Amino acid sequence: MRLPPRRIVIALLLLLLLTAALFLGVAREGPGFHELLAALGLPIGGAPATPGERFVLFDIRLPRLCVAAFGGASLAVAGTVMQAAFRNPVASPDLVGTAAGAAFGGALAIVTGFAAVGVVATPLASLLGALLVTWLVFVLAGQYGRISVAGLLLAGVALNTLVGALTAFVVTFTYSSYAASSEVLFWLMGGLERSTWQHAWLVLGGFVLFAAAIAPRGRDLDLLTLRDDSAHSLGLDAPRARRVLLWLACGLTATTVANTGGIAFLGLVVPHLARLLVGPAHRALLPAAALAGAVLLVGSDLVCRLAPPDANLRLGVVTSLLGAPYFLFLLARHRRGAAL
Amino acid sequence: MTALAGTGLRVARGDRQVLDGADVALGPGELVLLAGRNGAGKSTLLRVLLGAERPDGGAVSLHGRSLAQWPPRARAREIAFVPQEAETPFEYTGRELVALGRHPHRQRNAGLQPDDLAAIERALAAVDAAPFADRPVTTLSGGEHRRIAVARALATEAPLLLLDEPTSNLDLEHALRLVLLLRRLVRAGRGVLIASHDLNLLAPHCDRVVLLHAGRVFAAGAPADVLAPANVQAVFGVRSEAPGGFFPREFRL
Repeated sequence: MRLPPRRIVIALLLLLLLTAALFLGVAREGPGFHELLAALGLPIGGAPATPGERFVLFDIRLPRLCVAAFGGASLAVAGTVMQAAFRNPVASPDLVGTAAGAAFGGALAIVTGFAAVGVVATPLASLLGALLVTWLVFVLAGQYGRISVAGLLLAGVALNTLVGALTAFVVTFTYSSYAASSEVLFWLMGGLERSTWQHAWLVLGGFVLFAAAIAPRGRDLDLLTLRDDSAHSLGLDAPRARRVLLWLACGLTATTVANTGGIAFLGLVVPHLARLLVGPAHRALLPAAALAGAVLLVGSDLVCRLAPPDANLRLGVVTSLLGAPYFLFLLARHRRGAAL
Repeated sequence: MTALAGTGLRVARGDRQVLDGADVALGPGELVLLAGRNGAGKSTLLRVLLGAERPDGGAVSLHGRSLAQWPPRARAREIAFVPQEAETPFEYTGRELVALGRHPHRQRNAGLQPDDLAAIERALAAVDAAPFADRPVTTLSGGEHRRIAVARALATEAPLLLLDEPTSNLDLEHALRLVLLLRRLVRAGRGVLIASHDLNLLAPHCDRVVLLHAGRVFAAGAPADVLAPANVQAVFGVRSEAPGGFFPREFRL
């Protein structure tokens, strides 16, 4: 039987704090826990932290932790919303082209040299790409002013394919330059090593803005998992609620992916994981998914940081390695008769 | 007395006129059967009466006021709906789905109040769903699923109830139990409109039958008159030769 959702949410919160502490205090080189405690004003038998150590802890690791935690939470909440709005447990933030648009915008910025303008040039370009492609998908899917699930899926597949091809085409322009080429590929595979406080504020701001709008709509999401006629008969304008919630989910995805590059699977897997823990009702599912997504992305990025430097493990690769086996587990469970 | 009335309803899908000037009315304390061939427009008519689809022509009024002018939640407190198919792909419990029936009564973010909980328990008890109410609906049989859907509609406490093929997938006993439950609801004052192919089972329990053909009302009135052999021959293209009317036998528990 399920534990009370409240307890699971509290347990996940504690787990996130633990993971965050590990993220700040464990490293291959540089300051460790002693220095962390010293920098926080709690020296335990050690010297006070040097300015260099403080810089590493609070201006390198802490913004990166923020990007990982709020980015993971954003993608998980976006996935949860998508799966309910599409009434489909294998929907994900990639479905309506948001992630593909972000990848295209980012790649284009790097190739054209716009990325060199400033730290947030690439995020900005990919945010624009994400919004443009998502908007196109919604326009193409619209029919008589209403948007159907099937229309969105088809438009999403079409635009994903098109934008994916354009991204690949743009990447070919970098073959002559090893530096540009590796930069684009690194960006497409996702990574947080360049996170600054500017990135952190963007991701945090996106999460606060959009998640705050999604949180009071938990029961709308429950109703959207029914067929539209039933949702309508219970007093919900389903097409309108779906459109609003999908835009909010795309906002979460765009602000995250624009700052992290492609992070596969997280938005698809975490809602399932959270549903196993607290059940499908969104009042408990949304906070559980947000916390689980944060824990998973912070943990995954910690794995990246601790990997040998010459291995250069990419974050998108780690999340894929987590995601694929989990879906095999779901498949095995499904074969024994459980619902997805 | 009429609570919900559609007059001259027209709906076109491309070139096809799905509804072509259909009239239908439903009042409290009556059980109306909406019959007709596949594609006659029964489901579309239900959707239009629910307000889920705007008709291209004609009007629907609820308590004398245009249905489109009703705020969604106020309308949901007046008309409840039982869909034909299982709905959610997620593992909600039956009780959680029935609780969604309280949505039109609840404030956003408010928890379930005592009168919500009481309505949910009454609804579950009415369809004998309490024994499986806490199991994930994805593990329920077709009949159990349908009873949860009916319980959700009852939990809205709406005086009007529209059902789309409520007895499909149900065995004879469960189908009959459902019909008798609807009959009890009608005696208690609700108005019930059923779109169904199950004429043999339902017609003896109905007050009126509306026979839809090619988007229009072919005949409406008392079951024995509407389902007379000549009408059945004309609409369904089959001969009915039961002695004493259309129905071969009446089922009892």
